[in-house]
Amino acid sequence: METFALLLQGLAVAAQPINLLYALVGVTLGTAVGVLPGIGPATTVALLLPVTYKLDPAGSLIMFAGIYYGGMYGGSTTSILLNTPGESASIVTALEGNKMAKAGRGGPALATAAIGSFVAGLIATIALAFLAPWVVKFALAFGPREYFALMVLAFVTVSAAFGDSALRGLTSLFIGLTLGIIGIDLQTGQARMSFGIPDLLDGVEVTTLAVAMFAIGETLFVAAQGKRAPETVEPVRGSLWMSATDWARSWKPWLRGTAIGFPIGAMPAGGAEIGTFFSYAVEKKLSRHPEEFGNGAIEGVAGPEAANNASAAGTLVPLLTLGLPTSATAAIMLAGFQQYGLQPGPLLFTSNPQLVWGLIASLLIANLMLIVLNLPLIGLWVKLLTIPKPWLYAGILLFATLGTIGANPSVFELGMLLVFGLLGYGLRLFHFPIAPVVVGLILGPMAEQQLRRALAISQGDVMVLFTSPISATLLIAAALALIVPAILRARGKGQVLAEVAADGD
Amino acid sequence: MIEPMAQANKQRRPDRAALVIAAGLLALALLVAWDASRLGAGGAYARIGPQTIPYLIAVCLAGLSAWTVVAAYRHSFPEREPQEFAPVLWIVGGLVAQMALIKFTGFSIATGVLFAMTARGMGRVSLPLALLSGILISAFVWFVFARLLQLTLPAGPLEHLMLEGADIITAPFRSAPGGAA
Amino acid sequence: MKHLLATAMLAGALALPAAAFAADYSIMAPAAPGGGWDQTARSLQESFTTEGVSGNVQVVNVPGAGGTIGLAQFAQEANGDPTKLMVGGYVMVGAILTNKSPVTLDAVTPIARLTGEYEVIVVPAASDIQTLADLVTKLKADPGAVSWAGGSAGGTDHITAGLFAKTVGVDPKLVNYVAFSGGGEALAAVLGNQVTVGISGYGEFQSQVEAGALRVIGVSAPEKVAIINGPTFKEGGVDLVVQNWRGVWAGPDLTAEQVAAVSADIEKMVNSAAWKTTLETKGWNNTYLAGDAFKTQLAAEITATEAILKDIGLVQ
Repeated sequence: METFALLLQGLAVAAQPINLLYALVGVTLGTAVGVLPGIGPATTVALLLPVTYKLDPAGSLIMFAGIYYGGMYGGSTTSILLNTPGESASIVTALEGNKMAKAGRGGPALATAAIGSFVAGLIATIALAFLAPWVVKFALAFGPREYFALMVLAFVTVSAAFGDSALRGLTSLFIGLTLGIIGIDLQTGQARMSFGIPDLLDGVEVTTLAVAMFAIGETLFVAAQGKRAPETVEPVRGSLWMSATDWARSWKPWLRGTAIGFPIGAMPAGGAEIGTFFSYAVEKKLSRHPEEFGNGAIEGVAGPEAANNASAAGTLVPLLTLGLPTSATAAIMLAGFQQYGLQPGPLLFTSNPQLVWGLIASLLIANLMLIVLNLPLIGLWVKLLTIPKPWLYAGILLFATLGTIGANPSVFELGMLLVFGLLGYGLRLFHFPIAPVVVGLILGPMAEQQLRRALAISQGDVMVLFTSPISATLLIAAALALIVPAILRARGKGQVLAEVAADGD
Repeated sequence: MIEPMAQANKQRRPDRAALVIAAGLLALALLVAWDASRLGAGGAYARIGPQTIPYLIAVCLAGLSAWTVVAAYRHSFPEREPQEFAPVLWIVGGLVAQMALIKFTGFSIATGVLFAMTARGMGRVSLPLALLSGILISAFVWFVFARLLQLTLPAGPLEHLMLEGADIITAPFRSAPGGAA
Repeated sequence: MKHLLATAMLAGALALPAAAFAADYSIMAPAAPGGGWDQTARSLQESFTTEGVSGNVQVVNVPGAGGTIGLAQFAQEANGDPTKLMVGGYVMVGAILTNKSPVTLDAVTPIARLTGEYEVIVVPAASDIQTLADLVTKLKADPGAVSWAGGSAGGTDHITAGLFAKTVGVDPKLVNYVAFSGGGEALAAVLGNQVTVGISGYGEFQSQVEAGALRVIGVSAPEKVAIINGPTFKEGGVDLVVQNWRGVWAGPDLTAEQVAAVSADIEKMVNSAAWKTTLETKGWNNTYLAGDAFKTQLAAEITATEAILKDIGLVQ
């Protein structure tokens, strides 16, 4: 088997001590910066690009791989412990992860995130090595209409999973959709909801909204509780490590998360956060403890975290096989390739096999290094929660604003942080869910643009949405997801579910 | 005696806060619709233009507004706990102060002020101590991210002072032969 | 962990030896880290320091609205300050018009055009369109049936598509242009046979063209480009040249001596070995043009761009 021999050869390249050091530096830097809310792996890789000018191609790509995986992982730590997502792909992790941390189960939450990321990274990287040509064919079958159908399915499943109350869930979602309109319309270049303010032309940055809603909104809400809020959280209740039950409840979500995240990451317009949405919805549906969702269900951390990391590997499928950068980080990695006169694409596998397999092998090694680095740190991270409340929250706001200023050093951006922070506080006060706002901001513009592209290509013929087998299947699935629960409810079987949903907040 | 009275009152009077939210949603719907109405056409082939989706969202927002009014009369909104506003004002003040200061004082001092005001809002802490530790932590963070990681973070007098200090310390290393490689 | 962090920081510090110097030049990239302008700014930074033109150079990213936010800030901050430079390009010309930016390129001092990239029109290998003439025939028969995939509306790709239609006698308003956000989405749409043609800079399509999955039917260059296997628009019978260029500006209200000094530094940099290596590794074309020649060219392009954006219907 030729592929296997090439992979072994690649492992030999990546296992050279100097390359191992690059992987270690990359993983450490990636995790350190990924922890910062608002600064994702893309910015980190871009900023570190000059460092790698001095390295040979193999070394610099290995370092990139480490930064990429490290950045994807680092975001989950602050999500779980501080309810402050580091980047958009770890927003969902905050939902259950932070509830677990507040209940003294931060240790198991971080562990299931770390191990889930490792398992997903391992499987997805192997899949990248062996399945890339087939996965990419599947991904290319997705045109605008298929993406639109996928977005519709995402809307339906996700809003069903986030809703405690249909009214409040939908209101949150539509606030997010409204924010999504802001900015220049991609298809016609016209400014919408910008009111002549140039800073609004690029729309609302997802990370700004997420950091404001979660970190600042939460801080304001806790502050407003005054003395009723506990002075410190009990960092460890029960075991610091995952119990047998935790393992039993985690392994299936890891695998399902991987299966969902990898292909969506490989799609040119998929994106890591979509996979995490689907994974969360699926786990909530399949869980034997649906009542725990919203109160700290371990499945809700395990699945999305696995999906998040699997899609990071998935992104490399079109990058390596087609030279298609499907995420900001991949676009910057592409620039890194070009630095050495290499053109990723179908020819790369034949013209530079050593480099490609070295990269894939170093992804495996970066992945291993991540878990070696992070598992022992969990005890330390959890201790963060023992910091007295005033200092802890002061620190959260310091890092939240640092991320925003670093990504875009403008006073206007800080103003948006404050406004959305107040909005987040108001929503919490009236028990509106937060996540649908962010989901609306992410999915809304994607769905709109894909629909308009599909209709432009078909010159206005709506039927094209149903004539593609893939989009027809996805739309039928969406319709079923909408109708079946309604029928069940009508027959009274949904009563239990409805009750659970009613006291969900 | 008071209890049933309050209960009765509650039944008769709609939930005021919910009505305010409903009004807010309606205002948002009108804003979105007004903004969409001044957009030019476009997307001739798609038959739906830049204004189609905003109109749809506006209609849905208006519908949600009506639904919220119903909820207000049925009292189906959950109870709110009483809120303390002094701590919230401290923190909001901290964020505003950071925004106002950052261009002039640089990252460390502005963020140090935010740090101190947030800590003060969250509990009884000594303000000077919080300010000092906030500025020191921010200065350290600035050095790591702005100098070592090349992130663009605004610099002020404190940062320039730090750079001069760093220059003096690193000068011998830089002039050492072969040291720059 | 502390050791690891220290190692990492040390590695960072060693690799960025200039980090601790005071800035001589400060270059604004009016875009987020990673994009074309950012890469140009960081390459300038590298060439400046390695050639000793300037002791230390700092890059400042001010992203937003096609560079117009950075432009507005630059016009204000760099007033009379000869140590501040800004990178920009053709995209900014279009963005200023479509965004109705209150600050235009008139507010800053053009120094030089540095690099350029040509636009190509590609079709999937299996497409029945073989030549530019085939495309023109199809476009004339039913403009709506030809869907063009490219970057955002009003960008260089869209402008080129509009100019192409206008040149062959088709109303640019009728071009069925489908905008994709960057990052290869347009390429995926062409590869997946979702659209008729793709239009973008050659770099976007290069690997697929070399692999034989896409075919170049036209290049917007004035004459044949060595690395591109395809005819120019002119050779295909369409008299049109478009260059997506990037250049450098200085602040407003500089004295003639200051402008001359900055221009001299840039010229020195352009002729340096470091810059030539950068051009080669990044695959950028050297289209250096300075002084009054650049000014004249810029003014002509602004006029032409405004006209075509009006024709397309993006600017009233």
